[in-house]
Amino acid sequence: MRVLGIESTCDETAASVVELRPNGSGAILSNEVHSQIAEHAAYGGVVPEIAARAHVEILDHLVRRALDKAGLRFSQLDGVAAAAGPGLIGGVMVGLTTGKALALAGAKPFMAINHLEAHALTARLTDGVDFPYLLLLVSGGHTQLIAVRGVGEYTRIGATVDDAIGEAFDKVAKMLNLPYPGGPQVERAAQTGDPTIFDLPRPMLRRPGADFSLSGLKTAVRLEIQRLGRTPRPNDVADLCASFQAAVVDVIGDRTRAGLRLFREQFGPPQALVVAGGVAANQAIGHALSRLSTQTGVKLVIPPPGLCTDNGAMIAWAGLERLRLGMTDAMDFAPRPRWPLDAGAQRSHNGKA
Amino acid sequence: MRILALDTALPAISACVLDSGATEPLVIESLPMERGHAEALLPLIERVMAQVEGGFASLDRIAVTVGPGSFTGIRVAISAARGFGVALDIPVVGVSTLAAFAAPLVLGPKPAQERESALPGVIVSAIDARHGQVYLQACSQTGAILLAPTVLPLAEAIDKLPPGPLRITGSAAPLLAIAAWSGHRAAEVEGEIVATPILYVARLGMIADPEGAPPRPLYIKAPDVKPPSPFRFSFA
Repeated sequence: MRVLGIESTCDETAASVVELRPNGSGAILSNEVHSQIAEHAAYGGVVPEIAARAHVEILDHLVRRALDKAGLRFSQLDGVAAAAGPGLIGGVMVGLTTGKALALAGAKPFMAINHLEAHALTARLTDGVDFPYLLLLVSGGHTQLIAVRGVGEYTRIGATVDDAIGEAFDKVAKMLNLPYPGGPQVERAAQTGDPTIFDLPRPMLRRPGADFSLSGLKTAVRLEIQRLGRTPRPNDVADLCASFQAAVVDVIGDRTRAGLRLFREQFGPPQALVVAGGVAANQAIGHALSRLSTQTGVKLVIPPPGLCTDNGAMIAWAGLERLRLGMTDAMDFAPRPRWPLDAGAQRSHNGKA
Repeated sequence: MRILALDTALPAISACVLDSGATEPLVIESLPMERGHAEALLPLIERVMAQVEGGFASLDRIAVTVGPGSFTGIRVAISAARGFGVALDIPVVGVSTLAAFAAPLVLGPKPAQERESALPGVIVSAIDARHGQVYLQACSQTGAILLAPTVLPLAEAIDKLPPGPLRITGSAAPLLAIAAWSGHRAAEVEGEIVATPILYVARLGMIADPEGAPPRPLYIKAPDVKPPSPFRFSFA
């Protein structure tokens, strides 16, 4: 069984073909990703109209390339999946409409995929993880702890009440005039910095529940820069980045530990702790989670970086998981700028969770 | 040749299937719609194609409006058209909304002798670009371009048009005609003033050269964004 997956919810345009093997494992036959970083760099962040324009320009070419690299004709596919949200509506419309058109003209099943669900299920494609497991989703747009109990069965255990973690990284990078995208730049600068120079807060540490808060930490960085009384020098930048990253690492460790505890109380022992989202590529965070995994005895699964950031393979895989359960969607499926995985969860304060 | 034409650039969604040589479309459907194009377009095409013998497999070409119009709307129809192009492995051609509005005035629908007796004049396609602006194109009665597609403030638009009585069509035709009259210029409103005439999108799509008419958006306007200034602190 083979499904084409299309992703266009933010600043990556992607198409991929994934095959479901008879033993239940998945194989990525092709995985084409076009990043728009260059288009948005001058603006210091993703500009929705520019993103939408870039998606429509290139998506059908990527679909053709994904088919070519998989060595398949379109007629040899068993279904088409497209991300239908959450994300920037202009881009979502491009991918969703392209996916629907492919499915309609080819008389194939269509799956409208929740982008977050695709992140949540990726560990089953890469590592064959069994349900249930705890997902830590950390990216520029999302910071959530989710109990993944089955396809379509998700319970939110914790989430940020303000900024996403990747967003906090990007905002700190902006304050220090580091190039866009800022997250990896902060991590690089932190390598040569001393994390004990600046005493930054660890918001929400040891609080009940498993929610996150990042905006106070970001403000604390701003105040420290002001306290310097001068434009930060390279060693200041390194120390600020190291101190900031150390605070984030502590927060993620504490909140994930709390999340694991809540998971056990509600659902019993998890099969794994799974990390997804662009921030999963941060090595300091990876090491902290690896320590947590050793301490708690819960297996840690971090898919390869290319499958943690936005990609088409995760959409195709989620499409396969849904298709084999008969969960297909109609042609009138509307794009969803907001689409919480856990419909029952309380609405987050700002929709950034 | 059998062509499927699509349009969601203006406040409507439309689709039509036309065979070459035929004067009437096989199927044509148009729904006025302010928002929700992305949800409604594919179900409409599904209905339209269900009435076509041979279905999608019988299509030889897709035509799609590329704008100017709503940025989002332009992208919805183009995404669908390009998706069909990949699935069916057939050419997709882009047709401008301004050309589609002008086409009935250039190509018909009136019989030739009636057209010759009509006022000679400049055929103007005008589409509302909001904020007091119009997307504009002008051509002669034979379809020769006199003013290439552009966007202008309504107040300046009349002055940029070539001399002669104006035959204005398109969603901003009434606005532009009022501006012309107030400047004492002869003008009349003709043709479609709401939805892009989808039958003419199909006709123009049929004669277009796929190499010269790619299905790429014709936004005319750049995105409304400016780069931010570098982060600065005031160390008071």
